[in-house]
Amino acid sequence: MSGHLVIRDVAVDFARPRGRLDVLDGVDLEVQPGEVVALIGPNGSGKSTLLRVAAGLLTPRRGTVELDGRAIVEPDPAIGLVFQEPRLLPWRSVAANVAYPLELAGWPRPRRDARVAELLELIGLTGFAQARPSQLSGGMRQRVALARALALEPRVLLLDEPFSALDALTRERLNLELLELWGRTATSIVVVTHSIQEAIFLADRVAVLSSRPGRIVANLRVALPRPRALDALDAAAVSPLAVEIRRRLGEVAA
Amino acid sequence: MPSRRPLVAVLAALLAVAVGACSVGSSASPASTPLTVGLGFIPSVQFAPFYLAQQKDYYRDAGVEVTFQNKIDPDLVVLVGQGAIDVGLADGTSVIPAVSQGIPIRYLATVYRAFPSIVFAKESSGIKTAADLKGRKIGIPGRYGSSWIMLPALLQSAKLTTSDVQIVLYPDFGQLAAVEQGAVDAATGFINNEPVQLQLSGEPTVVLRVDQAVPLPGPGLISGTKTLSAKRAAVAGFVAATLKAMREIAANPDAGLDAAIVAVPDLGKDRTTQKAILSATIDAWTGGGSASGLGAIDRDGWTRSVAFMTGLGLVPNAVTVDQLVDESLLPKG
Amino acid sequence: MTRGAAILPVAAMLAVALIAWKAIVVVGGLPVFILPPPEVVGARFVRAWTDGTIPPHFGATLQEVILGFLVGAGLALVIGYGLARSVLVGRLLSPYLVAAQATPILALAPLLALWFGAGLLSKVVICSLIVFFPVAVATMVGVRSVDANLLELGRSLRATRRQVVATLEIPAALPSILGGMRVGVTLAVVGAIVGEWAGADRGLGVLVNLARGSLFDIPLMFATLLTIALLGVVLYGLVVLTERRLVGPR
Repeated sequence: MSGHLVIRDVAVDFARPRGRLDVLDGVDLEVQPGEVVALIGPNGSGKSTLLRVAAGLLTPRRGTVELDGRAIVEPDPAIGLVFQEPRLLPWRSVAANVAYPLELAGWPRPRRDARVAELLELIGLTGFAQARPSQLSGGMRQRVALARALALEPRVLLLDEPFSALDALTRERLNLELLELWGRTATSIVVVTHSIQEAIFLADRVAVLSSRPGRIVANLRVALPRPRALDALDAAAVSPLAVEIRRRLGEVAA
Repeated sequence: MPSRRPLVAVLAALLAVAVGACSVGSSASPASTPLTVGLGFIPSVQFAPFYLAQQKDYYRDAGVEVTFQNKIDPDLVVLVGQGAIDVGLADGTSVIPAVSQGIPIRYLATVYRAFPSIVFAKESSGIKTAADLKGRKIGIPGRYGSSWIMLPALLQSAKLTTSDVQIVLYPDFGQLAAVEQGAVDAATGFINNEPVQLQLSGEPTVVLRVDQAVPLPGPGLISGTKTLSAKRAAVAGFVAATLKAMREIAANPDAGLDAAIVAVPDLGKDRTTQKAILSATIDAWTGGGSASGLGAIDRDGWTRSVAFMTGLGLVPNAVTVDQLVDESLLPKG
Repeated sequence: MTRGAAILPVAAMLAVALIAWKAIVVVGGLPVFILPPPEVVGARFVRAWTDGTIPPHFGATLQEVILGFLVGAGLALVIGYGLARSVLVGRLLSPYLVAAQATPILALAPLLALWFGAGLLSKVVICSLIVFFPVAVATMVGVRSVDANLLELGRSLRATRRQVVATLEIPAALPSILGGMRVGVTLAVVGAIVGEWAGADRGLGVLVNLARGSLFDIPLMFATLLTIALLGVVLYGLVVLTERRLVGPR
């Protein structure tokens, strides 16, 4: 089994000056190998927190995370992470940024270079290998972040609102690219998003998270056939599923 | 008319007062010229003649209003050349390179006939002459100043150079302690300072002087050529008054000691030591000769010194003794 | 902008400065021993370098500056890092560091010459003291300024402590550190001269005093001051060049 992520009964709270803040309370989420799950919820519902627990960056008060039967308690090379900001090292070239995880993992130079070339080809930025992040557009930077997240051939990709900082057109294009990448790498994907349209377009399933303390309140299957093109994006916006998701969100919005 | 008399009287009285005020202003010091005098070092008993002459009004009687600068001043010679200081007390061995570099000063009167920079040692070191210094350790403050001219001159008289001795540096002026503790065999110092202290501590002391080797010109009164043209009479008066005080102290050292204590009360804490220092100072003024020759300038000695210092490379442009000294301000007789 | 066009304003400024200098001398009627005109200083400069007057003193001062800078900056990098990452270190050391910085080096130098002797050691100590503070503060500020997002990225990629320091903290802090070093290297020259004035046998500071007080060679004094200034400028330029190479466009 490759890329089977099971999040069971995860609860997280933070100590605050005014007392304990319960962010998540008993979240259950299962991602099948190769599945795309979109996670949507109102602001402050702990979506990013849940992602961090899944990535091994945060220890929950209660509950477990398992990837292919192995417990995730700290960051794991089998899990790739894409944050809302590209988080590229500004003093490194595009190629060196993509190579970063390989470097940290101790890969020898030739193997690193080969993999980086592969990844740059995958995201279509081969010509920009020596460019600096400051020379790239926001969309291109996120693509580099994506390539970096794929460097160690993860079985799961976790994306935290990866395109929310970009303009609408770039966002559409990157949605398409993400699907294309997924088609070629077959990783499982969990993508956190604020956009109902995006959730439907990308995912096999849309999980709706309630507001604090967060719990999964809906798990809706997306029936759109694959491969999906941009017209599917437009259709998604006005589909009955979108209406349903919106209704569920409305129920839980605090 | 009766009403005009009081008015005239008042006017006349006012006029008289005005005239009187003018003459009061000038009659107190009819020809008093202000002079700034740089002594170049901190207050000490060696400046007794200046303190005495000031306290006994010798300067005022000579028509001079003197302001002393009694502090260490590395720029004294330049300031005198510039005219910012009217008269200075400076080494003759500084005058030679200064004039050679175009600084317009003249040496007017010798204060120290014996060159005050000397080499001293404990008698127990066995050092009696310059030749005995060969291969020995000699402490110096640094490779500069009058001692760095005196030492080569002294060694030269024994056909030695500074490479024939071991130089040990004491930038904090600790050569006396070094000699006392035996860290060095001998050291450079000043004739009225280190050997006096060493002797007073009960240690028989030997002093090597450079005068027989090369008659280097010691400290004396200098002035700038511009100052000399503008204030000649005042400077001459200052020179005469200072020499007078020196003669007086040479005859009666206690008078000098008392004047110094009035000017610098702290000196009174140890009369014995200060008396010994003053005594050595007076010896250096006279160079063992008579007090009547005080102030005289040894032209022949200057000529030989110029030649020696030229050999040390300290005289880039040739100078004649006439460019260095001006004896015309010395009192006649 | 071509190289030539970039140099033009610099050359023009230099020419203006030299003309103003000459004007002051001529109009003020200043004698050579008060303010020598630029051509006299220039000639004396060339002569002092070619006839062996300045080179040995220059070598002595250069040695003091380089060693003092290396020691001072080296210590500053380590302690600056500690100050950035450890509250305890900051609490323990900060008061002493600030006190040391506030005490004027001119007052401390003679004491240090007394304790460490009149040789190379006391100059290196004085130089490193004066270099330490700006580089330490720059290091501390630079390391603290590392983007927390990048640190989380490093954590998510399982970077070891050493890897975090080498791949994230130091590169992020480099612009600030090198900025501090620009200041530090020029202060090192000041420190060397002050150290020499407190007691030394050789060096550009010693030569300034010799020229002024023993040789009465004022043009040589100015030529030596010019040498000191040029030393500072060259060292500063070297740090800027290093900055360009290491930091680059970001």
